Amino acid sequence: MKIICLSKLRCKINIQPDFFGNILLSFSALLSALIFVSSLTKKHSKFGNSLVLANFATLIICCGYLLLQFLEDNFSFIYVFENSSTLLPTFYKISAFWSAHEGSFLLMVLFLSGSMFINNTFFWGQDWMPISNATLAFILFFYLIFQIFTSNPFLTFDVLPNNGTDLNPLLQDPLLVIHPPVLFAGYVFYAVTFSLVIAGMFIGFGKKLFQSLKLWAGVSWFTLTFAILLGSIWAYYELGWGGYWFWDPVENVVLLPWLAGTAFTHSLIFSKNKILLSWMVFLGISTFLLTILASFVVRSGILNSVHSFASDPSRGVFLLSLFGIFAFASLVLFFSKSVFLQSDWPKLLSKQYLLVLNNVVLLAILLIVFLGTLYPIVTEVFYGQKLSIGPNYFSSLITPLVLILITLFSVEQFPILLKSNRRSFFLGVLSVALVIIIIDFLKISAISVGLYFVALVLSILLLKALVELATKKQINIAHKVMGHLSVVLLTFAVIANHQFSESLDVRLKPGEEVEFSNTVIKLDSVDIEGEMNFDTVVANFSIHSGKTQRNLKSEKRVYKIGGVITSETGIVSTIRKDYHIVLGDRFQDGSWSIRYSINYGIMLIWISSILLLLSMLYGTIRRHGY
Amino acid sequence: MKNLLRIFNIFIFFTLPIYAENLYENLNPQQLKRLDYLAENIRCPKCSYGNINSSNAPISKDLKQEIASLIKEGYSNDEIFKFMEERYGNYVILKTDINENKTLFLIPLIVLLISILLVTTYTIKRSK
Amino acid sequence: MVTRYFLVLILALLVMMLSIFSLSLVQTDEPQTIKTQEGKKLIISEQIYDLDGNPIPLKSLTKGKVLLNVWASWCITCLVEHPFLKSITESKNVKLIGINYKDQNFNATSYLQKNGDPYEFSIFDLSGDISLKLGVTGAPETFLVIDGEIISHRIGEVNLEVWNEKFAPYF
Repeated sequence: MKIICLSKLRCKINIQPDFFGNILLSFSALLSALIFVSSLTKKHSKFGNSLVLANFATLIICCGYLLLQFLEDNFSFIYVFENSSTLLPTFYKISAFWSAHEGSFLLMVLFLSGSMFINNTFFWGQDWMPISNATLAFILFFYLIFQIFTSNPFLTFDVLPNNGTDLNPLLQDPLLVIHPPVLFAGYVFYAVTFSLVIAGMFIGFGKKLFQSLKLWAGVSWFTLTFAILLGSIWAYYELGWGGYWFWDPVENVVLLPWLAGTAFTHSLIFSKNKILLSWMVFLGISTFLLTILASFVVRSGILNSVHSFASDPSRGVFLLSLFGIFAFASLVLFFSKSVFLQSDWPKLLSKQYLLVLNNVVLLAILLIVFLGTLYPIVTEVFYGQKLSIGPNYFSSLITPLVLILITLFSVEQFPILLKSNRRSFFLGVLSVALVIIIIDFLKISAISVGLYFVALVLSILLLKALVELATKKQINIAHKVMGHLSVVLLTFAVIANHQFSESLDVRLKPGEEVEFSNTVIKLDSVDIEGEMNFDTVVANFSIHSGKTQRNLKSEKRVYKIGGVITSETGIVSTIRKDYHIVLGDRFQDGSWSIRYSINYGIMLIWISSILLLLSMLYGTIRRHGY
Repeated sequence: MKNLLRIFNIFIFFTLPIYAENLYENLNPQQLKRLDYLAENIRCPKCSYGNINSSNAPISKDLKQEIASLIKEGYSNDEIFKFMEERYGNYVILKTDINENKTLFLIPLIVLLISILLVTTYTIKRSK
Repeated sequence: MVTRYFLVLILALLVMMLSIFSLSLVQTDEPQTIKTQEGKKLIISEQIYDLDGNPIPLKSLTKGKVLLNVWASWCITCLVEHPFLKSITESKNVKLIGINYKDQNFNATSYLQKNGDPYEFSIFDLSGDISLKLGVTGAPETFLVIDGEIISHRIGEVNLEVWNEKFAPYF
């Protein structure tokens, strides 16, 4: 347990566990163990079902109890003391609950038992339910043990401090309030998906199991994607660096289960005919294991990064062992059951074959992210020196793979290309190679080639969809068409953003203006304002481009507790480009340093991601009629 | 009327002396681009993550200013990377060099090629 | 057959990964991230001044054993290590010179008045230029300079433990 030693208190404080909170946690662990035993012995008993409900209820009370301490400013709770203060608005007092390691893990535990409850309510009586329940109870039990012994939020001082040390100002943002819960929900839903896969290995994959598996896989995929989008939007608006993805270790680590999950969801499509069954099972297992790995990397603090929780070796050891146990258990199970997973393998140049290639490319991207993120740990262990893997490693390797991915799924939409014989296929490969050589010969920059290529694919796909809509009055498998279109659009926007965005560092006095890239920006005035928990300097800018004038505000805040300074970026968005101003320092002569950027395609990135999310959602729920 | 306004606007822009000075003086647009590129690829030594363009730490601003003066003195990009590496170590260089990390770049590509080959030969075998 | 190869491969990778992670967890000494300036010459090319504005001859830094400590009144960790620096100068024969980093002159002098002044004098470095050339990334940092050569360099707080490891052998 990490304790901030205030010089006056001199750490002579005794720390005691809070009785009520710990009783609730222990009771919940006991219930989980009971669920595990009862689902394996008395299958389908009403008793097991009520145990799941009781467990969920216990954890709700437990979380409610901790939340109450935040609302009442009970700083005798160490966790409350470290993450809240009397000056904090009520909204953030609630979100402070999951702002640090202990609380956020408790939230994850709550979600796990919650999704177990949902799983039971929806699919009660199905033959796979006992094993699914046992698996989830097993996971939940270990999570609770971890919670109680290494990350207990219910520890108290025997003195009552006057005020807390406040919530990290970077986290005082509405987006970051909802981002962690959504992310943990995504992780936890993949645990449910995993439990279904495990059940399938024992009793075989029936039609009913596939239906529920598709639903859970879709929900998990949607949730995790949504979480990543939220984090990205937060990074863009709050961090104020003008970027939306930084290849920061903690971001990358979330990308790992997402990539595996993407491959997993796609491999499920054809699983009805038992094609690629073992492949699908393997991906399902890996996705869940990667969510634990992500928790391990973030919560053990072995990688330093903007978002890292305070590190504690015992946590890392526990989570790593947990990862090891789950990995070995499920892999041994996988290989011992592989006889039962006998599956058909697709024919060459069939849709399914393209899907396998698609999955292989996705896994290659996963490998790149994995290596780039964890390689610094390897050098640290063997050479004692940390090394930085820069964004260029990821972007230069991943961009071509994404283009291949796009090509693969676009070709798949034109079955005629696949029906042709092998000779024309190799002719196609040859012509692609020729085009590459010509491009190389003419020295056209790779990025603009990529941009043209993506634009071409985008228009072809769009045209195809429109023609189909006009002739058939509907689009076959609309969510698939729209989902893939939005991925192409997203890629286009990302490349455009990378290629065209520009920025300027400049010094301005109030009333002055400067011209940059066909726009004129003027610093109109600088005001000082006070808020409840921070003081702020507000700079008002106007941006003139052509005849239009846009106003925007950029702020610099000084938080009253701890004196942390943050910048609130001023952003005006249009569909094509964003105007983006960060306020810097004040100079002696009254001028301010500002960084002015024009970022292209940001809106398109958000729009295409939202379209993608909608397609995922529709694709998931359409067959189930909920 | 509108045209008149535009002419008026243009007139104003031309006559008003632009007082604002560039933060990094005497650099031409080409050099400013280089400065941005370098600042984008050098890590802030005081921060846990982030390059010196994106961080608010005092050292980042100083370093950017120093890079600007190095550019003015005629240093090339590689020489500036070398300079920074010399002073703060490998850790601050965010640009991962292909030549120094060949294996890191090659492993994923090799794995990708091998697995595509394996999958394809397996598919051909199974379909026979 | 294929599955067996696959199993062996996956398990081998898994074991490798787990052992690397475990090694990194049990690693006790901090990994080196930012390079220290040890072994380099102390380079100060411009004229330097103390807090009262008196010019300082460079020789007072490059002659003999000098402990250089980068500090600022806005720096919280500096306040934490301040008592230790005082105890060192009181108990041992240490020539401690401060570098006042990016600070207002008034704030710096009142900081020293309030908390005591263990420094022989402090170099006034408002712009941070002198420190930048020294390879300082922020405050606090401490250098041991012997005859113009940087022997030890600590990035961050100096306490008894750090002192015994990095500086004590030279005093």
